[in-house]
Amino acid sequence: MSRIISIHSFRGGTGKSNISANLAALLAIEGRRVGVVDTDIQSPGLHVLFGLDEKQMKLTLNEYLRGECAIEEVAYTLGNGAKHAPGRGKLFDRDIWVIPSSINAGEISAILRHGYDVNRLNEGLQRVRKQLALDYLIIDTHPGLNDETLLSIAFSDVLIVVLRLDQQDFQGTAVAVDIARSLDVPELMLVVNQALSRYDFQQVQQQVTETYNAPVAAVLPLTEDLVELQSSDIFALRSPEHPWSIALRHIATRLLESA
Amino acid sequence: MQNVVHYLKTIPLLQGLPPAAIEALALQVLPHHLDEGDILFRKGASGSSVYMVRSGWVKIVTENASGGELVLNHCGPGEVVGEMALIDREPRSAGVVALGAVDVLELTRDTFLEVLSHQPILALDVMRNFSARLRFATTYIEKAIEWSHRIAEGDYHFAIEQIQSETGIVDRNKADEVRAVELLAAFFNMVEGVRNREETLKQQLRELSIEIDESKRREAFEEVAQSPFFKDLKSSVQKMRQRDSGEEK
Ligand SMILES: Nc1ncnc2c1ncn2[C@@H]1O[C@H](COP(=O)(O)OP(=O)(O)OP(=O)(O)O)[C@@H](O)[C@H]1O
Ligand SMILES: [Mg+2]
Repeated sequence: MSRIISIHSFRGGTGKSNISANLAALLAIEGRRVGVVDTDIQSPGLHVLFGLDEKQMKLTLNEYLRGECAIEEVAYTLGNGAKHAPGRGKLFDRDIWVIPSSINAGEISAILRHGYDVNRLNEGLQRVRKQLALDYLIIDTHPGLNDETLLSIAFSDVLIVVLRLDQQDFQGTAVAVDIARSLDVPELMLVVNQALSRYDFQQVQQQVTETYNAPVAAVLPLTEDLVELQSSDIFALRSPEHPWSIALRHIATRLLESA
Repeated sequence: MQNVVHYLKTIPLLQGLPPAAIEALALQVLPHHLDEGDILFRKGASGSSVYMVRSGWVKIVTENASGGELVLNHCGPGEVVGEMALIDREPRSAGVVALGAVDVLELTRDTFLEVLSHQPILALDVMRNFSARLRFATTYIEKAIEWSHRIAEGDYHFAIEQIQSETGIVDRNKADEVRAVELLAAFFNMVEGVRNREETLKQQLRELSIEIDESKRREAFEEVAQSPFFKDLKSSVQKMRQRDSGEEK
């Protein structure tokens, strides 16, 4: 049975998309069958990390949600396009599928205006797990606690809440943790991202663990090289020896072990 | 005249010279008066005289990397400036400027060597004097290197203890040792400074206080939890989990 892993944060810009894509890549490199889906319909970003050609993305999660196609049709393999970047090039022959959201502004505003049936999202996710015989389905969510995000959280086997060392993130994370507990999510992990080097990461890990009474799977450093990459590649595969990548591998290992 | 002889006897550099030699020197030294800001000699100038400060204070200056004035030391009554000119013929390694009204006595290399030539065995004494000062300086440089290593390794405690114990044994009546104390003090300040900076950094680390407003937290949670969507979701997910665990059994 595959496991659903949702990557969530209360506020935007914490690094969800980068963490989702990199975790998916690391699990695929380990030989697992991995799907990764962008449920951030309002501000999609996952496809950029995998270098999906926006012109080729004729069908997306949006079309599926509107009932215009099957979910399988919007699960893209990386193929030859992946070879153009040193990081994701390593995924060329791996079992990884990316389900992107539309970047078309009209599409986005239409779905925001009319809404969609969140149950259809759920059905699609369940179906794609079985059809592609996935070991892991990773969900990159929209920040905050809107309906599709609540749904992703509710059906997760593992919820990873990403936070920065910032008071607003601390407050928002507390609410996300409460929601996850109320929904009986089987496994909850926290990931601190963009941590300044002047902090003692071990101490941060301990402090955050105690605050939420939940395990901190990693403290990821603020990384200039990652910013410079502008989400154009999978950093953990491109610079595997970088501390950010090493820390991210700890999360992947943890997921592999708890499966 | 007796004043000059008396004064010369207090100069460490000249100690070991017999009274007759000191008296001979006293006849040859040239007095100079400087007012505030007057330059005794500039860095890089050629010069073959040593100056002994009788009264007032001078500063020893060089330039820092950006061309500004960098004060290396202050010298007052009883101290000697430009003494290296007695042995080598290199340009002045630093400049000397009066900090107020200053009286100095000039002793030229020729005069000094002339006096020494009549006292051949004393040449050795003078050399011994110089080499002792050199050794003294070298010892401190070595210690300074060792402390620097310790500081670089973060062993501030050791460095501070060492510096304090060194300061304790220094003879404050000797000009060289006073300079050593100044070096020690500079080191001490540096170590303290570095340690404080590090403490501040650690402080900032401790300042990572995670404060959560519990009433806002509850409010935000309730707002979501009270929505019909959430209630629906919760009951369907409960059913799903019951079904899943049933399948596993
Ligand atoms: N550890 C890090 N150090 C420095 N920059 C980072 C780090 N992690 C992410 N970023 C940068 O932060 C920005 C946001 O990252 P990302 O898009 O992954 O976050 P997100 O949570 O998905 O954002 P959104 O909420 O907008 O979807 C990007 O520019 C990314 O390069
Ligand atoms: Mg994103």
